[in-house]
Amino acid sequence: MQKKIIAAIVAVVVIVAAIGAALLLTSSLPPATEKEPVYYVSMGVGTMKNALSTNASLGGYIAWEPFGSDGIVSGVGHALKWSGEVKPNHPCCVVLVSDAFLSTSLGVNLTVRFLKAHIDATNWMNAALADKAGGDYTKLVDMAMKFTGRNETVVKAALDHMKYDYAISQETIDYITWFAEQFVDIGQMTNASIIARGYSSAADFADKYTDASYLADAASVGTSSTMVGSVRLGYLTGDLHQLAQYVARNTTNFGGTSMFAKYGVNVSSATGAPYSSGPTEMDNFANGNIDIGYLGAPPAILKHINNPKVDAKIVAQANTEGSALVVLPSITSLEELRGLVVAIPSVGSIQYLLLQVMLKDAGIRLVAG
Amino acid sequence: MPKEERRRNLLRRLTIGTLSIAVFIAIWYVIAWIDKETVVIYPHTVFATLFSSFTTAIPWRGYLMQQEVLASLGRLFWGFALAFVIAVPLGLLIGYNWVANIASKPIIEVLRPIPPLAWLPIFIVVFRNDIGPIMVVFLGIFFPLLLAMVFGVRSVPRELIEAAKTLGANRLAIFRKVIFPSTVPYMMNGIYVGLGVGWMCIVAAEMMGVRGGGLGDLINASGSSGNYDVMYAAMVMLGVFGFLTTEVARILSQEVREWMGMRAD
Repeated sequence: MQKKIIAAIVAVVVIVAAIGAALLLTSSLPPATEKEPVYYVSMGVGTMKNALSTNASLGGYIAWEPFGSDGIVSGVGHALKWSGEVKPNHPCCVVLVSDAFLSTSLGVNLTVRFLKAHIDATNWMNAALADKAGGDYTKLVDMAMKFTGRNETVVKAALDHMKYDYAISQETIDYITWFAEQFVDIGQMTNASIIARGYSSAADFADKYTDASYLADAASVGTSSTMVGSVRLGYLTGDLHQLAQYVARNTTNFGGTSMFAKYGVNVSSATGAPYSSGPTEMDNFANGNIDIGYLGAPPAILKHINNPKVDAKIVAQANTEGSALVVLPSITSLEELRGLVVAIPSVGSIQYLLLQVMLKDAGIRLVAG
Repeated sequence: MPKEERRRNLLRRLTIGTLSIAVFIAIWYVIAWIDKETVVIYPHTVFATLFSSFTTAIPWRGYLMQQEVLASLGRLFWGFALAFVIAVPLGLLIGYNWVANIASKPIIEVLRPIPPLAWLPIFIVVFRNDIGPIMVVFLGIFFPLLLAMVFGVRSVPRELIEAAKTLGANRLAIFRKVIFPSTVPYMMNGIYVGLGVGWMCIVAAEMMGVRGGGLGDLINASGSSGNYDVMYAAMVMLGVFGFLTTEVARILSQEVREWMGMRAD
């Protein structure tokens, strides 16, 4: 009896092992006749630096600031490319307003007031950055450290790569078109889905999805001694690109009142904010958690066209450029990344799209880890 | 049961089963229609994506659907193999030896309720993206299997052991010829339960960024980019393969129980 059982067990184990071996052999077969691609994995931006120093399969990572500078300053890696070198002046983070919020009775009024504070904060940051000996620069660095949880050296290095800008120009709109075309090109969006969403083309979409009129109206907004209403704000984890919202919410550095409050806007963090990536923030737009959000333009595009089909408008920029592809010190070209993994915040994020573009221009395929 | 009746029974079950699937698909259509495909995609779109993904790799993934399935199955397999190799001997020891039982009990009882996913952040650092997810699956299968083994040993009727003793069997012989064989049905049941937990773990484990693709990773990535047709296609594959593997384990377990003269449940 027990011999039979042992034989049966051995048989089962052998069968399972054979299936397993076959599975592993077939699944690990490399795609034939092709040079090795570069692989990507999604990872929290805060863990990328440590991952690069400990994980042998990782060749680099691409992240928003200050997480790129964090790896560079610590010597774990160096910047193989800054996104501005690849696509000069490309929009990065934008301010997105949900259509649902705009259609509320105070929606437009609050959006315009919100943008006035956004403009003030951006102007203040740019003035502070222009005078590094000034007291405002010290305040800026201090706020950046608190927001990102990174030390002074890292934050200062990161700030050197920041280009804060709120204006929506024709160049911005052209880039939105280009982003949409890139998504179509890599198969994450289709021209059919752009048309299904009511636009005649990518350019038509970019034109209608951006709306600079609120920004123009913001110029004439005056201060308010009372609170006009509340805004639930979405933003990303320690994203220095989005420092304007942190500055505009700060109460201690600007005489006891935040810039948002000065214009009568009571800003609170949306449920779940800060988010780990732009696509996650878009999901929170979709479920109604967010009124106004700062996030990368590409996820704002992708998840307006694709599911979950968020209805919203890009009403201002937050920054341009500012994403670094940080690679191991030994790597000096994109070609050397072949066969290695590059960490990204998530599929559909601007960093993911920029990495796609960098590699595509070099004739290298980017595939899932 | 007479042959005729059995056939009629089977026919009835097939009919009801088919009908229930048809109703399910119909409900799916209605929900997608109400939702206007915002998050719920029409079944025919999902299945069209699924079928084409076997022959054309999704460009931004670089893998065919079967490669994604195989990657997940591979992880499940290694997690299972590791759990089997460790849990079976350990379970036998804990069940058989009272010192080992008392010594291990507090540790096991405290570790067991911790969801395997809680270990993921640590495992990703310690075991990296390739082994980390396997270790999560391992934990998922390990505890059900271990407890099944311990329970199996404890369920051996004392009379059997006493009888073997009076017939002159030494400790090793009792263990080899009485205790171990009696635990086999319990082991099979532990495998069945463990595989189910393993599938649940593998998806979440893969959501942390793995090497070589995988269904969980595909679900996460396509959800992130809003390519929900791909996401649902991957979920269908998960359902199918999860069902197939646990069903095989369940049937094997049942067969072994019947074969060993235990009442099938």
